[in-house]
Amino acid sequence: MQTFQRFFRLSAVAAMAAISAGAYAADPIKIGVAVGLSGANSVVAPAVVQSSQLAVEEINAAGGILGRKVELEIVDDASGAVGAQKAFDTLVFQKKVAAIIAMETSAARNAALPIVSKGKVPYIYTSFYEGRSCNNAMYVNGWVPEQQVAPVVDYFLASKGAKTFFLVGNDYSFGRGMLNFTKKYIEQKGGKVIGEEFLPIDGSDWTSVISKIRSVKPDALISATAGGAPNVSLAKQLKGAGMTLPYGNLAIDEGTAKTMGDAASDMYMSASYLTSIDTPENKKFVAAMTKKFGADLKTPNELSEPQYEAFYLYKAAAEKVGSTDAAKVIPALAEVSFNGPRGTVQMNKSRHTPLSMRLGQVQADGSVKILQTFANVDPGAQCPNLN
Amino acid sequence: MVLLLDLLTTAAMLFVVTAGLMMIFGVMKIVNFAHGALLTLGGYASYVVTQLKLDPWLSWPLAFAAGVVVGMAVEQLIVRPLYKRPLDAILATWGLGIVIGQLIVMAFGREVQFVDSPLSGTWSLFGIDYSAYRLLLVPVAIVMCLLLTGLLNGTRFGIRTRAVIMNEDLASGVGIHAGWVRFVTFSLGAGLGTLAGTMITPLSSVDPNMGMAWLVSAFMLVMVSGHSMVSLGLTCLVFGACQVLVSTYASPVLGGLTIAVLAAVTLRIRPKGFAHG
Repeated sequence: MQTFQRFFRLSAVAAMAAISAGAYAADPIKIGVAVGLSGANSVVAPAVVQSSQLAVEEINAAGGILGRKVELEIVDDASGAVGAQKAFDTLVFQKKVAAIIAMETSAARNAALPIVSKGKVPYIYTSFYEGRSCNNAMYVNGWVPEQQVAPVVDYFLASKGAKTFFLVGNDYSFGRGMLNFTKKYIEQKGGKVIGEEFLPIDGSDWTSVISKIRSVKPDALISATAGGAPNVSLAKQLKGAGMTLPYGNLAIDEGTAKTMGDAASDMYMSASYLTSIDTPENKKFVAAMTKKFGADLKTPNELSEPQYEAFYLYKAAAEKVGSTDAAKVIPALAEVSFNGPRGTVQMNKSRHTPLSMRLGQVQADGSVKILQTFANVDPGAQCPNLN
Repeated sequence: MVLLLDLLTTAAMLFVVTAGLMMIFGVMKIVNFAHGALLTLGGYASYVVTQLKLDPWLSWPLAFAAGVVVGMAVEQLIVRPLYKRPLDAILATWGLGIVIGQLIVMAFGREVQFVDSPLSGTWSLFGIDYSAYRLLLVPVAIVMCLLLTGLLNGTRFGIRTRAVIMNEDLASGVGIHAGWVRFVTFSLGAGLGTLAGTMITPLSSVDPNMGMAWLVSAFMLVMVSGHSMVSLGLTCLVFGACQVLVSTYASPVLGGLTIAVLAAVTLRIRPKGFAHG
């Protein structure tokens, strides 16, 4: 009798476990995307949302992750620190997502990181940034200054015979950070910085700066302005003043170059992703985006393409360890790679990613022509204390 | 030499941007916080012209016309009841600025737009290649200053306007249609605002916030110069020169503060500005 009861109990437990396991397998894996649907990032957000949707659609069509369907949870972070805290809080504690894949401004990322740590959720940060942000749960697949500055400076030194440089930027963390790094890099390579000028972050009257450039006659100009208005006004005023020296812009993306048209022509830029990358993987990606979104397509860019890759990297990591358990997935994220539109990427350099960087030049019609590809540019020791 | 051209063209740009505000704030004493939005509206007039593939010069009359029409509607619907309530007018025009800004976002989106420039390239002057468009702004500002001075000081309309501003009851008593004078002046000021917006597009970006950057400087300049166009021109020249000099010899970050600091100091010494005697 007793054995029978025991057997009955056991089998009941087993049956329940089986049922719940079955239900578990059918449960979708939720992946959170916090993005600036409102505020400053709302210009780029639609492209990021579209590439996330494509990645999820493709992964689901191929059977999902670990046989489970993937579900997107998109939350507005209002492009700022307070909004990002709310958004991450919602994703981690209410929606209980398995991972977060999101671009953020640096301020917003720093504000949200404690929530990621507390919730122990793997987080793939998909934006380029000024570097050296370290967290146990975070991986980065965008570029850092070490990777972006080198192609522009190397090209100006080698192909343009430039010896003297003039640096121009807006007075905020990205502008200062990028140009400080650029200055060090130029001096390390034997070039000379003969002028460095900053305008307030909302400043767009470059009159005095342009006059200074004119008077010191540098061989090349490199700028790191705030995106949008200051960047556009600098380009317009340089063109208006008839300046023809080689000009490298560290703050421009392909889409902005296109809308700027004539004002951006001949400008040099450095990027890990450009739509004109000539590989089968990129052609397939662009074709799939065009097919899915048609006339509503937002041109894929430096922020939306890493977003797409990150879903595949998460899939690879989860399938490698056979689970969505954060403690197992987080170390695995460094061990997996994905061959995507930018080439093969693996987030294995102290949580950052060696990337192939492309030096592009904006053409008269606004498209970007790739002049040179610098393969596997190392991000350097960004987080030496993390492994 | 470049410095001299920088001074002159900066002053011209400041004058163009502030002239419309002068009509509404300096002359009519309505604190028009919607001036920034009017500038933005002018910028988008250029964008529409570019989109329709018309001659970029057409954006000037189009922007002016659009501004006048908007000004007429705003005066009738919003500003008219508020002439005797200046504090409420501040709120109303501020709100109006937000509304115009959001309508622009709804119609054209938030992103930076590209606009054809009516004049590009450089002109050679005193052996320097200088931006042609910036140079063009200097005679434009001078002509604008002369026309507006003539209008305010040399025509019956100008005399009536000043009469209405100084003492509306008395002006009405001698048969001046005060409402009509205010209507025309406000619409003209709004039209000048949008015209300025379209005139600065070759030098700045076109986005929903493009006008805001100019708003503070414009208010400072008008407050300092009182109600005379000539004194506004001089103020723009002096303050613009200081701004360029500080930017060139100190730092552009300090240059951005120059106008605000100078205006505060000037108003401390001469609370009524230059033109009030």
